[in-house]
Amino acid sequence: MPLEAFAASEPLTFGVELELQLVSLSDLDLTPASPDLLHLLRRKPFPGNVTPEITESMIEINSSVQTDYRTLLAELVEIRDTLVAAGDQLNIGIAGGGTHPFQHWSEQRISSKPRYQELSSLYGYLAKQFTVFGQHVHIGCAHADDALYLLHALSRYIPHFIALSASSPFVQGHDSGFDSARLNSVTAFPLSGRAPFVLSWDEFSTVYFGKMERTGIIKSMKDFYWDLRPKPEYGTIELRVCDTPLTVERAAALAAYLQAICRHLLQRKDAPPVEDDYLVYNYNRFQAARFGLEGVITHPKTYEQLPLREDILATLDLMEPHAQALGSVEALVHLAHAASEGSDASFLRAQYERQGSCEGMVNAAIQRFRGERRMA
Amino acid sequence: MPDLLAILGSLSWPFAITLAWLAGEFGQRWTGLPRISFYGLVGFLLAAPQLGVLPRPEAGTVLLLADVAFGLILFELGYRINLRWLRTNPWIGVSGLAEALLTYLAVYYIARGFGVAVINAQMLASLAMATSPATVVRVINEQKSSGQVTERALHLCALNCVLAVFAFNVSVGLWIFRTSEDLGDALLNSLVVLAVSAFSGAVFGLAVPAVLRMLGKLAQDATVAFALAVILLVSITYTLGLSPVVATLAFGLMARHRRVAFSQAQRNFGALGELLTVVLFVFAASTLDWEKIVAGGAMAVVLVLARLLTKLLGVTAFAHLSGISWRKGALTGVALAPLSVFVILLLEHARHAGVQVVEELRAIAAVTMLLEVFGPVILQRALVWAREAPELRHAA
Repeated sequence: MPLEAFAASEPLTFGVELELQLVSLSDLDLTPASPDLLHLLRRKPFPGNVTPEITESMIEINSSVQTDYRTLLAELVEIRDTLVAAGDQLNIGIAGGGTHPFQHWSEQRISSKPRYQELSSLYGYLAKQFTVFGQHVHIGCAHADDALYLLHALSRYIPHFIALSASSPFVQGHDSGFDSARLNSVTAFPLSGRAPFVLSWDEFSTVYFGKMERTGIIKSMKDFYWDLRPKPEYGTIELRVCDTPLTVERAAALAAYLQAICRHLLQRKDAPPVEDDYLVYNYNRFQAARFGLEGVITHPKTYEQLPLREDILATLDLMEPHAQALGSVEALVHLAHAASEGSDASFLRAQYERQGSCEGMVNAAIQRFRGERRMA
Repeated sequence: MPDLLAILGSLSWPFAITLAWLAGEFGQRWTGLPRISFYGLVGFLLAAPQLGVLPRPEAGTVLLLADVAFGLILFELGYRINLRWLRTNPWIGVSGLAEALLTYLAVYYIARGFGVAVINAQMLASLAMATSPATVVRVINEQKSSGQVTERALHLCALNCVLAVFAFNVSVGLWIFRTSEDLGDALLNSLVVLAVSAFSGAVFGLAVPAVLRMLGKLAQDATVAFALAVILLVSITYTLGLSPVVATLAFGLMARHRRVAFSQAQRNFGALGELLTVVLFVFAASTLDWEKIVAGGAMAVVLVLARLLTKLLGVTAFAHLSGISWRKGALTGVALAPLSVFVILLLEHARHAGVQVVEELRAIAAVTMLLEVFGPVILQRALVWAREAPELRHAA
């Protein structure tokens, strides 16, 4: 089946998907509670959408298509509150975070949907080890070529999103040393990484996608696990490097930051992307995942060494006029605060120090996700 | 040859639990049924009135071991109870009360219909309200099940036990009243015993996590600390004539709700819990006598069926209100079927405390025997049908 046409959408509209952890409140391990939670949620009017995921210890929520940061945030908060109330009714804890700090992948129950069973038999332990939780942000594009332009121009900012969202320092009960250990699980998949450097949609769909399809390795865009990938049926590009933050407020802010950067890039004042930009890509991505805001990245054009935190703060300043135009200045203030105070990963590490255990850290994450509705 | 008999006598328990363990492992592998059903079968067959391998049960080391095993399980049950949940979703508590009350009434009138004396019918009805924590916790852990049926079975099981202990004590109080005309004292006494038991459990629940906290990260695995504390608590309550059941349940509850440090502990207390569970179930079944089982036959079957039905109705009625499907509500009711170990231990202790009426109550032997073997199987089916536990895996 050839790649479908790129459906044009309103430029700079956006939407957010969040994969969330379902946690037992007794032992704070992941618990396969999604069938019960989905059953209860179907009985209430629910903003946005909620869907089962590959393991039953995970659910995905998504916002509707939005143009404005404030309405996006309001919608995510409403979804969050509905979820938290349902969780309370069923004795289920709900939390953000890119990994569950001590779950053992061998104990995860794979969802009974046929597609997930197929993935599980193909990827073996990779599928279960893929019990990681990410945030995806979609940005609407007017033209397919705009989509590809953005896709490659954004590569320079990928480390920002990794570091600002990083919330997966612990894996299998131990501090991994990474701020986003989740990305390592993604990288293990054979079709992960960056998209091929093609700027024309015609070339992308007829030449690249056509060839890949003839190899028989892939059937649809879904088989690519790229950091950024086009989603032709929505007319969007999809950013997939973010860990699910601990709060929906951070998730909305990240989406607004991406929206502002895209607005800036579409003015095409910067030098256009070239294949050589990717020389530094994987190493920069590693720096951001490993050291978070303390990382040092290499500028793809000048090869200048940039401390990531400073680069983020400088970019946030640069994006302010765009945020003014889009009505999302508060989001950039929120992120500037996060960049100087520390990411969710450092919050989690601090909780581990304070509470003395991974269980205490999960409990803190559950409390943080609840926002104002903290449990006593 | 008294010497040889004495030697054989001292070997009987180690022999019995080894055999039970083997039966459990092979039985589970061949049939996929829960191990504890086989432990019960072996204990029953080897008991004094049957094959006579095991000595008649007496208050002693084995009863203490069984109490410790039961204490470990009750602690784990207490630790998994979330009181905040019961406040947020009051319909769970309501369904528990409804289901227990229905069971009490049904069992009382059926027993009266079979010509059982009022006081005995009251005791029988009180005991029938219970759900055995030993079976529920063991099977849930063995099946690695999780979901609403699992969570609710655990919470309702704890509620049923407390209700049953309370109602049973009132019945015993009434019995004492009829024989010694001292209802007030009896009631007060049993209430004080309950309160002091709960208090001692609560003290442990505060003290143990505090000690773990002081040890800091050295205490990565808190299993040993909690196990030791349970053994200590059971011994203390046993010696002082308090209720180990209430004390260990309160210990678990307090340890959960006042946890200053979140610490890891192995499910089932690891190998220690595994071993003591074999002792517990073999012991429980070894107190049963086939003659009394046969004597209680017809009534027992009616009681078991009625109890299944009342629990099913009581929980199902509030399923939708409490946020689950009718199907899961019904399965939760079915999951409350197990009864045996709890009843047997309660009766053993009552017997040793000198409540003679318990001897007549041995007609309940048939009910407990039926549920000793079938209770775990029914619970296991409920969990599998609810898709909260993986399908049976066995070599056959």
